[in-house]
Amino acid sequence: MPAPYGAVVIVGGSIAGVTAADELRVAGHVGPIVLIDEQRHRPYARPPLSKAILTGKEALDSAFLPALDDLDVDLCTDTTAIDLVPDEAVLILSSGERLHYDGLVVATGASPVTMADLGLNQTGLPELVLRTLDDVVLLAGAFSSAQSIIVVGGGILGMELASAARDAGLVTTVLTNEPPLLSMGGTFLSNLVSERAERAGVTVHHDPAGVELIERGGRLAASLAGREFAADIVVTAVGDRPRVEWLLSSGLADRRGVPVDSRCRVTANIVAAGDVTTWGDRRRTPHWAAAMDQARVAARALVAGDAAEPYQPRPYFWSDQFGLALKMAGECPFPGRPVLLDGEEELGRAVFQWRSPDGDPIGAMTVNTPMAIARLHRTAGTAPRPPIRTIKELR
Amino acid sequence: MKVAVDERRCEGYGFCEERAPELLQLDDEGQLLILRPDVADGEADKARAAVRSCPVAALRLED
Repeated sequence: MPAPYGAVVIVGGSIAGVTAADELRVAGHVGPIVLIDEQRHRPYARPPLSKAILTGKEALDSAFLPALDDLDVDLCTDTTAIDLVPDEAVLILSSGERLHYDGLVVATGASPVTMADLGLNQTGLPELVLRTLDDVVLLAGAFSSAQSIIVVGGGILGMELASAARDAGLVTTVLTNEPPLLSMGGTFLSNLVSERAERAGVTVHHDPAGVELIERGGRLAASLAGREFAADIVVTAVGDRPRVEWLLSSGLADRRGVPVDSRCRVTANIVAAGDVTTWGDRRRTPHWAAAMDQARVAARALVAGDAAEPYQPRPYFWSDQFGLALKMAGECPFPGRPVLLDGEEELGRAVFQWRSPDGDPIGAMTVNTPMAIARLHRTAGTAPRPPIRTIKELR
Repeated sequence: MKVAVDERRCEGYGFCEERAPELLQLDDEGQLLILRPDVADGEADKARAAVRSCPVAALRLED
């Protein structure tokens, strides 16, 4: 645990890293904070990228987070951590520089899994993906010169991409191995979004055999269940994986991520937050709200150790697609049909609650209906929660 | 320092409320209320943190 005057280095400048910097100051850390990020941009928010920014409703600039001036943070963009030597408390940068830390926050996030990673694109042709600001610039440019698009993947990101593509007037085909959002959100959400997507003119094909990317005429195309599909552009959204390459030699992470204890600690002076982490029984919750919650706990743990409050997971995420502003709380996927608490389903404005066979709330979703997060969590029965079983507690 | 909300952009996520409950509050309808637009000196960091926490950049600080 670093003294309040020690140097804290934060690796990763997305919402987990920035929130950690914020919280360190709020918790009374007065020593230097160095925030390093491999991108050349200053910190920005990712959620709007696949939503208002890709569709052009909002300017690219609007994604940038307010400057960190007030936090007295030494922001180093275009800087990549390549290795960590915990025994010496030294971080090694791609420049060769060795950076000493008293406390370290691991917040390197995740990167897209591509079809090539999965062995399902042997063409050697690059795939379009969406994760970063540079990705969205590239993709928006591709949208403007294309007439048609294939989106591979029917998860949240894939369906947001399909929605944005329709907004941009592209002939849009989604290829996936199951109905949209099914394993992630359950049948009710899957049906709701599928119907909206179809009404918006999106063609969805799914087959458990899955998609493979192929080359046709020098360009990427796709095949699903023996049928070939071609479009001007192919974008893939088939998952993400934690950015742990720089931590593997230290033994603090494996390919599944960085395991943390109940206060997001990895060692006594290293904490981790956001998409790079696994918690409890090694589950990953790569969502914006979880990243913020974890970063706050992690920062407090660096400052206060065991006196810091443990992490209380509050599953929450949102999505905007096909005219539906969806906000969900609870442990997805939700089984069966929810109860309509408010609004009118046919008008696309509603508050739904899922209940257990005993009648206890287990999840909630608002559709085009503003609701404070705390109230949504109450409706979902997600707070308070039982303690989390953690594999190894740090002492 | 003042904190202001762009009501057309605010979608009621409520992260800012968690950051600075003394300054900002969502009502039951999901409307963001500015409890005290003038930010006291000791609350400046909280206010900035609240602004940074907004996923749709609906909050801003004015001098």
